[in-house]
Amino acid sequence: MTSKFSAYAHPDALVDTDWLAANLDTPGIRIVESNEDLLLYDTGHIPGAVHIDWRRDLNDEITRDYVGPDAFAQVCRKNGITPETIVVFYGDKSNWWACYALWVFQLFGHQNVKILDGGRAKWTAEEKPLTRVVPNYPATDYPTPLERDDTTNRAFYHQTWQHMLAKKPLVDVRSPKEFSGETTHMPEYPQEGVLRGGHIPGAKSCPWATAANLDGTFKTAEELDQIYTQNLGLKKDDDIVAYCRIGERSSHTWFVLKYLLGYDKVRNYDGSWTEWGNMVRSPIEKGS
Amino acid sequence: MSYPPALQDIIELFEHLPEQERRENLIVMSDGAKRQEPKEGETFDLEDVRKDEECTDTVGVYLKVDEDNKVHFAITLGPLVQTLTKAMTSILCRGLNGARPEEIMAVPADFVPRIVGAELVRLRSQTVYYVLGRMKTAVKMYLDRKRAAQAAA
Repeated sequence: MTSKFSAYAHPDALVDTDWLAANLDTPGIRIVESNEDLLLYDTGHIPGAVHIDWRRDLNDEITRDYVGPDAFAQVCRKNGITPETIVVFYGDKSNWWACYALWVFQLFGHQNVKILDGGRAKWTAEEKPLTRVVPNYPATDYPTPLERDDTTNRAFYHQTWQHMLAKKPLVDVRSPKEFSGETTHMPEYPQEGVLRGGHIPGAKSCPWATAANLDGTFKTAEELDQIYTQNLGLKKDDDIVAYCRIGERSSHTWFVLKYLLGYDKVRNYDGSWTEWGNMVRSPIEKGS
Repeated sequence: MSYPPALQDIIELFEHLPEQERRENLIVMSDGAKRQEPKEGETFDLEDVRKDEECTDTVGVYLKVDEDNKVHFAITLGPLVQTLTKAMTSILCRGLNGARPEEIMAVPADFVPRIVGAELVRLRSQTVYYVLGRMKTAVKMYLDRKRAAQAAA
């Protein structure tokens, strides 16, 4: 374990590229790539990695929600994952979607999960091997989870509303212009269907990217503590809700707060701004 | 709605492909995006290179119109653009090169889902439309400049 990792609250939640390169064939590990770029996996991936698509595999096609226990078990079975499998997630965009996929795995209680620090960008920058060979693992008999836990790590609209009324910590991880309401889309993306710009009243702005280095790795424990504990004023026993636009950037922040800094009670409001900003009679604030 | 013949051929090829073959062909197209870049010493009537806020990286559109009033494009893409955007760049260059400016301006964007498929046209893949928009913008800029030059003459 690197000295950087050992300073985190849960150092075993991360692996680095050298460790993964040395463990590509280690039994009991499944590498999972999850990206925003839908075809990126097809262009080449870490040898042995399977692809879990954030929408096709993890989102329900009819209801705006995640898949249920049966569908989750199917995803695991077809990718050769058992409840004991250590699942190492990585992906593009500084691991937004890798953290998102890990978060969904947590909704179903799969505990053996890790993130590749630096994700796909660091792996490719180091010219580590990529392949277009899609692995085919024997299907497992992953048991269907009894339920999806929507209480520990997930916040819904009405819970977020109550959170706002109680003036509990709300962390808006979008870009500063999205927070202020100056724009309704994030930089480098088209408008994606939000009617109003602004933020949830009382929310504090702390863009997800403040937690990441330019190479996509997470900042050190000391730097993260400065950002979230010293600057933002979050306390270890706070009840925290993070949100962004659709829940992917806030998955990144959720991972940082929960696993790297060890905050006990952190939930991701996956409805996020596309729900709050469009909801009839939902109050907003504008300005920084 | 009719499309330039080369684009029509590509649409018909893609829309009948099974999903996996469609993806594989899109990857082939993406791999070929580099071949759409300007050749050494090549000159153009218009060069429009910029980084727009709604796209992840710089896109350069290079346009020249030959003596038969047919348009030829070259396109450069920054390394951060999505794979689908790279694929669409190859497809659009192959499909629109040789068309007349007015034909390009009239091309509707409704063919994109027929090529890409419903599975891949979704939230966070909307930049597949971006390159077509940039190509049309370049053609419009070319036509506007031509009209202005003719009026001044």
